[in-house]
Amino acid sequence: MLYFLDLLLLSLVVGLVGVASNPAPYFAALGLAVAAGVGCGALVGHGGSLVGLMLFLIYLGGMLVVFAYSAALAAEPFPETWGVGSVKAYVLMYLLGVGVAVWWFWGGYGDHWVVVDEFKEFFVVRGDVSGVSLMYSVGGGMLVVCAWVLLLCLFVVLELTRGLSRGALRAV
Amino acid sequence: MLKILIPTIMLFPTIWFSSPKWLWTTTTLQSLIIALISLNWIKWSSETGWTSSNLYMGTDPLSTPLLVLTCWLLPLMILASQNHIKTEPITRQRNYITLLASLQTFLIMAFGATEIIMFYVMFEATLIPTLIIITRWGNQAERLSAGTYFLFYTLAGSLPLLVALLLLHQNTGTLSMLIIQYSQPLILNSWGDKIWWAACLVAFLVKMPLYGVHLWLPKAHVEAPVAGSMVLAAILLKLGGYGMMRMMVVLDPLSKNMVYPIIVLALWGVIMTGSICLRQTDLKSLIAYSSVSHMGLVAGGILIQTPWGFTGALVLMIAHGLVSSALFCLANTTYERTHSRTMILARGLQIIFPLAATWWFVSNLANLALPPLPNLMGELVIITAMFNWSPWTLALTGAGTLITAAYSLYLFLMTQRGPLPQHIINLQPFHTREHLLMTLHLLPVILLMTKPEIMWGWWY
Amino acid sequence: MSPYVITILLSSLGLGTALTFMSSHWLLAWMGLEINTLAILPLMAQHHHPRAVEATTKYFLAQAAAAATILFASTINAWATGEWNIYCLTHPIATTLITMALALKVGLAPVHFWMPPVMQGLDLPTGLIMATWQKLAPFALIIQMAPTAHPQLLTTLGLLSVFIGGWGGLNQTQLRKILAYSSIAHLGWMIVIAQFKPQLTILTLVIYIIMTSATFLTFKLMTATKINTLAMSWSKAPIITTMAALTLLSLGGLPPLTGFMPKWLILQELATQGLPLTATIMALSALLSLYFYLRLWYAMTLTISPNTNNSLAPWRLQNTQNTTLLTIFMIATLLLLPLTPLAQALI
Repeated sequence: MLYFLDLLLLSLVVGLVGVASNPAPYFAALGLAVAAGVGCGALVGHGGSLVGLMLFLIYLGGMLVVFAYSAALAAEPFPETWGVGSVKAYVLMYLLGVGVAVWWFWGGYGDHWVVVDEFKEFFVVRGDVSGVSLMYSVGGGMLVVCAWVLLLCLFVVLELTRGLSRGALRAV
Repeated sequence: MLKILIPTIMLFPTIWFSSPKWLWTTTTLQSLIIALISLNWIKWSSETGWTSSNLYMGTDPLSTPLLVLTCWLLPLMILASQNHIKTEPITRQRNYITLLASLQTFLIMAFGATEIIMFYVMFEATLIPTLIIITRWGNQAERLSAGTYFLFYTLAGSLPLLVALLLLHQNTGTLSMLIIQYSQPLILNSWGDKIWWAACLVAFLVKMPLYGVHLWLPKAHVEAPVAGSMVLAAILLKLGGYGMMRMMVVLDPLSKNMVYPIIVLALWGVIMTGSICLRQTDLKSLIAYSSVSHMGLVAGGILIQTPWGFTGALVLMIAHGLVSSALFCLANTTYERTHSRTMILARGLQIIFPLAATWWFVSNLANLALPPLPNLMGELVIITAMFNWSPWTLALTGAGTLITAAYSLYLFLMTQRGPLPQHIINLQPFHTREHLLMTLHLLPVILLMTKPEIMWGWWY
Repeated sequence: MSPYVITILLSSLGLGTALTFMSSHWLLAWMGLEINTLAILPLMAQHHHPRAVEATTKYFLAQAAAAATILFASTINAWATGEWNIYCLTHPIATTLITMALALKVGLAPVHFWMPPVMQGLDLPTGLIMATWQKLAPFALIIQMAPTAHPQLLTTLGLLSVFIGGWGGLNQTQLRKILAYSSIAHLGWMIVIAQFKPQLTILTLVIYIIMTSATFLTFKLMTATKINTLAMSWSKAPIITTMAALTLLSLGGLPPLTGFMPKWLILQELATQGLPLTATIMALSALLSLYFYLRLWYAMTLTISPNTNNSLAPWRLQNTQNTTLLTIFMIATLLLLPLTPLAQALI
């Protein structure tokens, strides 16, 4: 299990480096998806299965939108992959940075991993589930605001990309 | 105080609602009436040092002469500007007089303030109208840099002053001029206190101006229209001297040792700027440098902090205010006729303007401190006080007096004597307005020597 | 832009700020900030001009990064102390992170770089919203967290902002960039006093909003975006030109105009706290800003030519813009200094 978790966390780093190295939007979106997916996997590995699942679903929905827009708006005939010179330099730089960080912190943080609901035998409901119910009971207003934020987001994106010839992001 | 302040503020409706035909007449008349009423301040009936009309405003023997001078100068400024502003659109004429009147409002509130911070605010407030007068109505393109110099020299000096005043308020709990001298003496030992001491004075020394930070003054004078030069030389420089006299009270324990470099600079400035005057070709610049030279003497008199020094400084400030303003007016009469400030282009004017030459003569004599004019009294008292402080200063002050006489003579000879150049033909004759202007400048100078105690301050 | 969309966006803009104002919970505050950012984006890009789009993108990136940092830091704080309350921000790393994030949000030096180009890309009304309304929500948070923030960090941010705000505007000829730098400088004054007397921060913010609104509305009336255009303004609206010159000096903080009031009170508070050096540096750095205001003034009022310029048409057309708001703001900009005792009594 521990090795599996290590693998997930390693993939998280790889995914983030993939985004940070500034490739074409397609590839960056792929990196984001990888990072998001394995991040949720890491959460599940630590016991937060419900949170992980929810996040994964939200990410999937969000990333779909991101993919759609990036594919639609930033289509390039010759996209820069991770193999292209400048991107490759960034990849190497970041990997080197990660390596240095690993070397620096090696062994320091291993003991502090906390597993969610470690003592779940003593509780009737799981912590994350009770959190969700708490949110629905006392955080009702908050939920409405959240919904409004999402709606507003949609509005904003539509408004920004409205129109065929004067789509804002295409005008650049 | 309000008897003067409210009529001054009521100048604004007069300016904006009187018909164009009567604009100059009514404003001159109203300001002259204000000036005459202000003479009432001189009649001193108070037993204590201050006469306060309300919590924030008051007069005492130190501020009264300067207040009266301020009120006296507004009609003179309006008279002097009439000729060269008259050709502009009527709105701009009104604007111009509004600026002059607002300047007087601020100055009355500055000299009348009993709170140092109120004095500070008004001291700064005079910058804006003066800046507009210099930069909007000046003649050459250099007026922009002159305005910038003027503003930034003054502000760079006075912003540390603001911080220093707030610190003083923090330590003594009051900034009222009425009681601050009775508060506990400050304990000033550290380096920070010395910097605080310098910050308290540097704004006024820049405004005076002290030699070394005087560069803004000749520029401002040269570029300003006549009213700007007049008010600058006659009153705005005196704000510096007045503020210094007010601040010296609280600076006491440190001043004894800290003033040496400043006095040296001031006295050295008397010689240096006097020598610069001897080589000037520019009429207004010469008068401006002569102002710096006189103000150096004033600064020295204030900084040694004796009653004689203060009195001499005050007398010299009043006398110099009237005389330098008169000289600027005379320079302007020449400028309006020849359209040049260069002295060599307008020589021998005595031949064609004999009465004006008389005015030049009297003003120059007053400038070089001819007995028994009040200028002499001020210089003599300061020189005596300085001599008492250190005999060696006589070398500098004495040489300064000699140089003053020399450049006054140079000024008179260059402009009035000698042959008339060939190109000077068809000059406009002097107006009655200009003669009136000179009379109103020089009459007070002559009358003041019959009763000098009204500008003695606390001496008698 | 359709009126419905405008309504939705403007009401969301208000909603975001109001949410941040009334929240005591970091999550809600963060959400308010995000609503605020999202709602202004379409307004910024409404003209679909490349510069506007660029400005929108830059603004979005800066604000999203700042908001993410706020969320991250408040999570760290909650993780370490178990508290989501805004007043209970005690974890040092979280405090510093949030301070810097809020600094990025309002555009304080040294994280101010997004601000001048963003302002430059906007039209003047949107720029006005950007310079005024968008500062309110972050400042509500700054005021609440300032007591626990690192004092030297706040002072450094303030000094740097005043200095860079003055320095950066010196060689600009574009009015909106100048206004952006002026905004940075004023924000510096606000942040430096936030730890000592938050009420003064509010007062400074209010007065800054009044002054900068007057300036923006004047420029809008003149349709001026460059110093060159300002030189024509006297023929379009002579009285406003005269007043605008004083408005600029008020922004620069010269007595006896309103702009002096916050500077005075802030310097007084700094002197009371025993920080005369900071006070002096602040006061003298304000001279840098004053220099570019003065330059605008020169171009606008003091060098007007004696004859009427007939090369362009605007002066011949009657101006039909509504100037009520401008009038109110301008009067407040020029004449509020005598009300200083009132302001002091209120705070």
